[in-house]
Amino acid sequence: MSETMFYILLSLKQERHGYAIMQYIKELTYGRIILGAGTAYSSLGKLERDGLIENIREEERRRIYIITPLGTQILHEEAARIAELYNNVKELL
Amino acid sequence: MSDRKIVFFSAFRHLLPSDYENWLERMAADGWHIHHFRQWSSLFMTFQRDKPKKYRFVYDPQVAPRPEYQATYEQFGWEYLGCMASAHFWRMEYEGERPQAFSDLEGLVDRNRRNAIAVSASFFIFLAGVSAITLALGFASDSLSAGDRIQLIIADIFFGMIALALGYIMYLMWKNLLR
Repeated sequence: MSETMFYILLSLKQERHGYAIMQYIKELTYGRIILGAGTAYSSLGKLERDGLIENIREEERRRIYIITPLGTQILHEEAARIAELYNNVKELL
Repeated sequence: MSDRKIVFFSAFRHLLPSDYENWLERMAADGWHIHHFRQWSSLFMTFQRDKPKKYRFVYDPQVAPRPEYQATYEQFGWEYLGCMASAHFWRMEYEGERPQAFSDLEGLVDRNRRNAIAVSASFFIFLAGVSAITLALGFASDSLSAGDRIQLIIADIFFGMIALALGYIMYLMWKNLLR
């Protein structure tokens, strides 16, 4: 899973629309990752098609998404993989 | 000095999406602006002279965008300029850091791949046409009149040249997926 996909999934533990996802990720990564519109559109489409997120409603032409149980499971597995990676390399840091 | 500039065959002069975006950006910086893209913009497009502006353009091939496509870009501050074939165009005025619509390598490669697939589909359609005409000339030549034969040869050469050009563009696009 790409870093962008991981952060989008993480941000959707709470319901958000595309622009709010970008703001959340920008804040979380101290401005290192600024999600672009094209990347947000294609990533949200892919995550929805794979059943990892779902569209729950629409407000002022904005689609609001939230993570699904399958998405939560994948997110936890990915977090565990990153934690293992961190534990294996932390002496280098 | 004229306030209008017409550019012919722009899509054939700037083949990669990133090159096309950069060319539009340079035109805007020189004070030449395009406010709408239409289906025939690849053949000719009209720029209007105005104050030079710093715009970031986006070339986004989307054959069948989902209903939320336009709203997503607009939320991020992009202005829709229209559609040329299946390529949608956006722009955003900026200062300082250049805005990116494709913020990770995966998104950029995905955009470039969609464009390369569209060109590849056209290439194979023309290749199939050339092959069919060549086969007709080879196997049914005896049953054709001299006039029909000449027409088919001309069509074969014409479609063959288009297929060659598309093949070259396709090669460039697949080779430059990371740009």
